Amino acid sequence: MEPLSPEDGKRAAAAPEAAIPRTHIEIENLEIRYGPVPAVKGISFRVRAGEQLTLLGPSGCGKTTTLRAIAGLERPSAGAIRIGGETMYASAEGINIPAEKRGLSMVFQSYAIWPHMTVFENVAYGLRVRRKSRHEILTRVREALALVQMAPYENRPASALSGGQQQRVALARACVFQPSVLLFDEPLSNLDAKLRADMRIELRELQHRLGITSVYVTHDLEEALAMSDRIVVMRDGNIEQIGSPTEIYNLPRNAFVADFIGSSNLIAGQLRPDLASDGLIALETSAGQVVHGVAHGRAVPPEPVFSVRTVYLRLSFERPAGLRNVWPVRVHHCVFQGDFSQVNVTWGDRDLVVRSAALEPIPEGRDAFLSVEPRHCVLIEGS
Amino acid sequence: MPGSNRDKLTRRTLLGASVALASPIACLSARGAYAQAPAKTPTKVLDFLTYADVAKAEQEGAFVFYCHENEAGTAAIAEAFGKDFPKIKTSYVRAQTGALYNKISTERAAGRFDVDILQLSDLAPALDFQKKGGYEIYHSPEAGGYKPEHLSNPAGAFFWTGVTFGGLAYSTAKVKAEEAPKSWKDLLDPKWRNAMSCKISSSGLQFVQWYELRKLYGDEYWQAFAKQRPRGFDSRVQLFDRLAKGDDKVCALAEYAAYVLYKEKGAAIEFVAPEDGLPATPLLVGVVDKAPHPEVAKLFVDWAMSNRGQAFYQSNPHLIYGSLRTDAPPMPTGKRLSDFKLLTPTDYADYLGSRDKFTKDWNGMLGL
Amino acid sequence: MQAPALRWQVPSGQAIAGFGVAGAAGILVLYPIFYLMQAALDVGDPDARPPTAYGLGNFEALPQYSEIMLNTLTVSLAATVMALLFGFVTAWILSRTNVPGRRTLEQLMAVPYYMTPLLGAFAWSLLGAPESGFVNQVWRALGGENALINLVTPFGIAWVMALFEGSVAFVMIGAVMKSMDPALEEASQVIGASRLRTMLRVTLPLVAPGVLGAAILVFAEMLGSFSAALVLGNPDRFYVVTTAMYQLVSQYPPRIPLAAAMGVSLFAVMFLMLFLYRRLIAGRSYVTISGKAFRPRVMDVGRLRWLLFAVCVFYVLLSVALPLMTLAFASVQKIAVAFPAASNWTLANYQTAFTMNAVRAALGNSLLLGVATASIGVVLMGLISWLIYRSRLPGSGFIEYLVMFPQAVPRLVFAFGMMWAWIVFPIPIYGTLWLLLIAYLTVFLPLGVRTISGVMLQIDKSLEECAQMCGAPWGYRIRTVTMPLLCPGLLAAWLLLFIASVRELGASILLMGPNAKVVTPTIVESWFATSAELTAAMALIQTLVIAIAMVVFLALTRRASMYAGE
Repeated sequence: MEPLSPEDGKRAAAAPEAAIPRTHIEIENLEIRYGPVPAVKGISFRVRAGEQLTLLGPSGCGKTTTLRAIAGLERPSAGAIRIGGETMYASAEGINIPAEKRGLSMVFQSYAIWPHMTVFENVAYGLRVRRKSRHEILTRVREALALVQMAPYENRPASALSGGQQQRVALARACVFQPSVLLFDEPLSNLDAKLRADMRIELRELQHRLGITSVYVTHDLEEALAMSDRIVVMRDGNIEQIGSPTEIYNLPRNAFVADFIGSSNLIAGQLRPDLASDGLIALETSAGQVVHGVAHGRAVPPEPVFSVRTVYLRLSFERPAGLRNVWPVRVHHCVFQGDFSQVNVTWGDRDLVVRSAALEPIPEGRDAFLSVEPRHCVLIEGS
Repeated sequence: MPGSNRDKLTRRTLLGASVALASPIACLSARGAYAQAPAKTPTKVLDFLTYADVAKAEQEGAFVFYCHENEAGTAAIAEAFGKDFPKIKTSYVRAQTGALYNKISTERAAGRFDVDILQLSDLAPALDFQKKGGYEIYHSPEAGGYKPEHLSNPAGAFFWTGVTFGGLAYSTAKVKAEEAPKSWKDLLDPKWRNAMSCKISSSGLQFVQWYELRKLYGDEYWQAFAKQRPRGFDSRVQLFDRLAKGDDKVCALAEYAAYVLYKEKGAAIEFVAPEDGLPATPLLVGVVDKAPHPEVAKLFVDWAMSNRGQAFYQSNPHLIYGSLRTDAPPMPTGKRLSDFKLLTPTDYADYLGSRDKFTKDWNGMLGL
Repeated sequence: MQAPALRWQVPSGQAIAGFGVAGAAGILVLYPIFYLMQAALDVGDPDARPPTAYGLGNFEALPQYSEIMLNTLTVSLAATVMALLFGFVTAWILSRTNVPGRRTLEQLMAVPYYMTPLLGAFAWSLLGAPESGFVNQVWRALGGENALINLVTPFGIAWVMALFEGSVAFVMIGAVMKSMDPALEEASQVIGASRLRTMLRVTLPLVAPGVLGAAILVFAEMLGSFSAALVLGNPDRFYVVTTAMYQLVSQYPPRIPLAAAMGVSLFAVMFLMLFLYRRLIAGRSYVTISGKAFRPRVMDVGRLRWLLFAVCVFYVLLSVALPLMTLAFASVQKIAVAFPAASNWTLANYQTAFTMNAVRAALGNSLLLGVATASIGVVLMGLISWLIYRSRLPGSGFIEYLVMFPQAVPRLVFAFGMMWAWIVFPIPIYGTLWLLLIAYLTVFLPLGVRTISGVMLQIDKSLEECAQMCGAPWGYRIRTVTMPLLCPGLLAAWLLLFIASVRELGASILLMGPNAKVVTPTIVESWFATSAELTAAMALIQTLVIAIAMVVFLALTRRASMYAGE
């Protein structure tokens, strides 16, 4: 299993009596194949009670397939899925509990609002299936609708709602019977940008308030970073890295993660153990520049590479003093992009990309100095 | 009853042989006619005699009639019987004789016995059916009205409810009277190529025509006939429809009964009775073995045989059968059967034996 | 840890229903085919059953009848080409040009489908017979010689079939055109290509696969056609395989093994065609609800648009109005001619038709059967559609092939097998309406399943999956989510099945019994055994009854289909 993150360690240290957080969902060596094509190639991870775990990756990476397997809507080829200690799927023992009996809840990408029912009926569906009393249904549905601010639309036919409104109803429907786990399949991808941003916050607050364990699937980086407790980065059916948003952002494990999460410059070089100091390591590039960075306890591979985030590179016209990583560069391209500007600079024999806020437009050919703090030059593990 | 039969036998030799229907069966029929004298006495219902239990028949309440006639004709027969016995619900299946016989044979082979009365227009399948025991033997009290050669041999299987015969017909709109064919041989004239119609091989009357004309003129006649490329049809209604509309110029087998009907409708057609004779085929009715409504079936046979039934058969415009009942009145046109020279097969063995050749040749001529 | 393995052994209600339905479909479809094959391989005594000897003798005799095979191919090919022409031209006009009244025209284009080829065959026979046809009579009256047209020919058969099938081609090609991204054509025009060039170089190649698919399907249907060839071909000794089979079966003595062999060969060709068709359209997505809909850019054709309007209207007139009027004209005459004298008018035909017991009984039976077939069919085919496209039960792909199987078999051939198969069945259903019901359900499986699954596939899967996630078991889901959403589709299927069964000919003509007469074979029998005028009256009565039933049905269900969402 993957190691607990530093945050977990801190939390455990802070409240020893809380002990290690309870594992709510356990995925073990899950393999899912469509005919001969493997969509998910043997992944394992755990979701803790009350946390929001996001499956993040480009399309085709297997994140939705994994989510649907947890839901019970897809049948894996091998492995095991356990929720709340109960085995939902285990290929070795031949167990596969159908989706309707797993007690989970899901919000679909297309909302799946039933057009032939009213808003009330949509939300009440799960309760009716469980044969709750009329009174209970009434109370709980109203509560759920209030939770998503859709109370006044109770008797509206569902087909007459806008996208955002349908989204909320879907959410209310998913929460109304108090499931232990909430699954989200790219719920915000059909909304426009502004609405998406607002809903993100609402969803996050809701999840915190109710303390439900959530597994969230998205391909949107911002969403994942904003909403998750931990992120699972996937590619081609494999897990690339698991960690908290800051961890993944600041300490990418390989080139793919480095460039998928935010934009990053990858600097390869030869290890210069003679220049190592203060816990930093130094790489010398083929052009002769020396870059100081951190290894974070990772073993140095034969061809080491630093990942340097574009936003951490600093451009200045005077040489900054007292910094280890300073180099002269020439600006050859500058594009204004609203909240930031993207500057391409020639650094030795190659280009580097710098992202900087509030930069005056720099004419091409201008010389400048590039600097970056060593702690922002992270050694990545083999690709 | 037996007495009057014997009377009729002696009287027969005195009557002119108007219908040339000599048959070797005739000498046997004398013995067959009263071989099984029924024990009970017949009851009179409406105006005829029957051995059937009428009350039981009405209880049985239904009547299934398989007939070769066209739709209108079959419906008329069923309706007429149903009108006389309203408590009996009639239903029928009609198909050309060949197809009809197919159907009933298939059904019986599979153990289905749903038919009460079978009416065919060809002796060949009737004799075949009799051989297989398909008919139930029933001696109707009305059988006395018929000559033995117009009953089955041995009697009781079926009887000749009528005779239909055919000659030539042509469309007066397309053909001038001088050019019209007068004899069977005239049909071979090249000017009638692709303009003639006839019936298909499942027709009883067509088989008789083939057989008789082959006897008269030999195989070469039909070989030449085939060169005329005639069109074959299932029913006489089609033949006369087309003739009336001018789709065909000449009809090589025009049933007299249909001619009468269409002439009344005002069709521009004319009938020709060739000198050499007109092929005629009997229409044969019998009670089917293991009938679902046996009393109704017997009642029907008696009805059909009686004057009442025969009058109906003769006068209904869709049927116009020539009746063989010895005391029958003339046909609605005023003519009697005796006014025509009718050709019917006499050597039944030869007749039956040539069926296969006929079917093959005729189908080949018509393209299938 | 849970108790292992046993969980999978107990079949869910879903599985039971699924396998039950699949089993029923299997029996319906395969039982007659088995008997068909048995008859085709029978080289022993034709009267003995079961067959005494098996062999390939019947197939070896087939080359003698190569003319019939050739006829079938020629007529089908000609009809396909014409039907595609009608369909393509009208589809292009209605989806690509600014012809006025497009919506009405589109709805009108569906009407020829409800006019059976049988009606068309009667009417065109009355119009185009060389001597007695109305058109030719008018022609001669105007001074022409002989005949202007002769439709009692192979061309006539192809013409009638093409008029009818043209509307099917229209729907299929129209769908292809609507799914084409207009940007592709616009790109061509922006570069400067003329409209004609665009159509030839861009549009045509893009729609070609779809059109080809339509062509294959239409051709396969033409191969199995029966009624037009029966009415227009038989008189002139022009036989196609289906009419030849019918002839062979009705002859005395019947040549059943030969007919069966012909049937099997036709079936093989049709099967191949349909196999090709499925390969061609494989992989197409049917989900249209959540997808982007293309609105093709409409071309302005200026004054031409009235001409194009006329073209579309002309097609509808030719295929619907003209035949109906012809039949009406003929039905009120004693002997139908183009210029009737005053004495020729009569209502006797209608009188006879209404009072003929056979007709009344047949019509009653047909209506009853129609309701039964449609109602049972909708449930059965709904379950089958769900089984194939929504359940994850094993073997659902096989069921799909099984269900589409009857499409590859001409109705007559199928009925032939059924006649054989059910006559020996211990329960006496032969000759009753029950047998017809079973026959209809079998031959309409492809139609019903195709219609219902078309609608089913339009419903996003997630709607049902969500119900699953809310805890609803299979039966509850179907009842509360799938069925209400399917409602308009189910109603459409009901109506289609009803009409199809009342109009059915090929199967009914072989399976009717004395108490189980149905209307279309009765009309055909009437054509061959009574007058054309009486037949015309009967045909019109049948058409009217169907039209009334449709109107009633649509009125009753208008409210039901209003709320079911899309």
